[in-house]
Amino acid sequence: MSARRIVVTSGKGGVGKTTTTANLGATLAKRGKRVILVDADIGLRNLDLVLGLEKRIVFDLVEVAEGRCQLRQALIKDKRFDSLSILPAAQTREKDAITAAQFAGIVEQAAEVADYVLIDSPAGIETGFRNAVAGATEAIVVTTPEVSAIRDADRVVGKIAADGKPIRLIVNRLRPEMVRSGDMLSVEDVCDVLSIELLGIVPDDEEVIDTTNRGEPIVLNESNRLRVIYDKIARRLEGELVPFTSFDNQTFFGRLLDALKAG
Amino acid sequence: MHQLQSTDPVVPSEASEPLEEARGKLGRAIVLTSGKGGVGKTTTTANLGTALALRGASVVMIDADIGLRNLDIVLGLESRVKHHLLDVLEERVEVGDALVADKHTESLFLLAAAQSREKDEVETAKMQALVTKLRERFDYVLIDSPAGIELGFRNAVAGADEAIVVCTPEVAAVRDVDRVVGLLGNRFRPQLVINRLRPQLVQKGKMLSVDDVNAILRLPLLGVIADEPEIIVTTNRGEPLALRATTPTGAAYHAIAARIAGEDVAAPMPPAARVPLFERLGSLLGGKRR
Repeated sequence: MSARRIVVTSGKGGVGKTTTTANLGATLAKRGKRVILVDADIGLRNLDLVLGLEKRIVFDLVEVAEGRCQLRQALIKDKRFDSLSILPAAQTREKDAITAAQFAGIVEQAAEVADYVLIDSPAGIETGFRNAVAGATEAIVVTTPEVSAIRDADRVVGKIAADGKPIRLIVNRLRPEMVRSGDMLSVEDVCDVLSIELLGIVPDDEEVIDTTNRGEPIVLNESNRLRVIYDKIARRLEGELVPFTSFDNQTFFGRLLDALKAG
Repeated sequence: MHQLQSTDPVVPSEASEPLEEARGKLGRAIVLTSGKGGVGKTTTTANLGTALALRGASVVMIDADIGLRNLDIVLGLESRVKHHLLDVLEERVEVGDALVADKHTESLFLLAAAQSREKDEVETAKMQALVTKLRERFDYVLIDSPAGIELGFRNAVAGADEAIVVCTPEVAAVRDVDRVVGLLGNRFRPQLVINRLRPQLVQKGKMLSVDDVNAILRLPLLGVIADEPEIIVTTNRGEPLALRATTPTGAAYHAIAARIAGEDVAAPMPPAARVPLFERLGSLLGGKRR
């Protein structure tokens, strides 16, 4: 059976696409799924760094596309999870080094030997984004609760929805105390604008900076609350009905329902 | 140099005035870029534009992120945008009519990006010509580049003669900036702004220090901006922190602006930002360290 092919994208850069891809991938692998993560950010790859695999790269996506190696030769197995591997992007090439059809072909090939293929899209809406989306049958849009990130996410949702692919939303880096003081948009505000299915709410956690620098996804840390949050996201992705953690205030659920109804 | 009078109505049509006063020498065209997104290019552009204008310079900021524009939001000007960069490049309107006067700072203008168009609709040569035209009228042309290294980045860089690279103290951002510096090539001698540094995390060994970052990048340092929740608040409100020169972050932007203007001012640096700690970093970029 072929894998689910999900692109993780955002429009705006730096909202946490790569961190989300790595942590969600690790969580799905921990749940026993076979997962392949594809770094589509040719020229500015970072997924390898976030997983601490940068020294193990031999071949890359572009070399697979050009037939210079087999897909299985380019896949790098994660240090911690046997069923997790990454296909790194080329670092010294350009996004147009690969066509959308080539990219989709590689993802399809990966899908034959996995349960999930997660595609880490580059920022923006240029060729790299279009290639990343071309390989996917569903999308996760990551945004932060900031006006500029939401506007960019809305633009991306419009582009993907035109293809009829299902889109789910992860609101990343929420700071509940700032929402309460009125200095940050709430999840409800974000859902109101974007009107897509909410998959997860991830609070801002400064430990992410350190774990990213060290190449260890934060879900490996048993005591960190994000481990539970990514686990819930993985379960929702698998179709389970998992209640949302209330971050911004007591009536979050009611407001969320309102938001969903309004959407 | 044109100065708006305080009685001038601040409406876009007024923006054509500075163009009527051609200056003797060309202004400076500086691109702000980073490779990685979300490190603060747009915030830095808005704040340095504001700080330079408050010093008395005439400044125009170009949002080169066609399709994903945000500089208008950061400045609180989104409802005043009537025309955009592509309207000008495709000669539907005069550049003077497309400039939006800032609502807080005199002699500061925005040329917004088109929101519903694509980056490949820009002709590089026309972008270069536009920047040259603006350099004849303004002291500074700041170009806010999109993330990435695709066509949008190349067009943003095309008209510039100087570059500021913005980097956060994270390995991924450092690697992307290093790549961008390589792509910028020898035409530029990029200067570095390190953004979103958290001194407490640096002290605890949980964030790269200024020295860690610059051991890899080896770029002239314009200054370091600390991570403050205030930045999110002011960005959502459309009021750059540089408007408040007495706050630590506002003062840091003013110091960077002074350095850009050639003043002999120390690079702003949050306390305890400079302890070198990370060993992993050196190996990431092919052993460039020391």
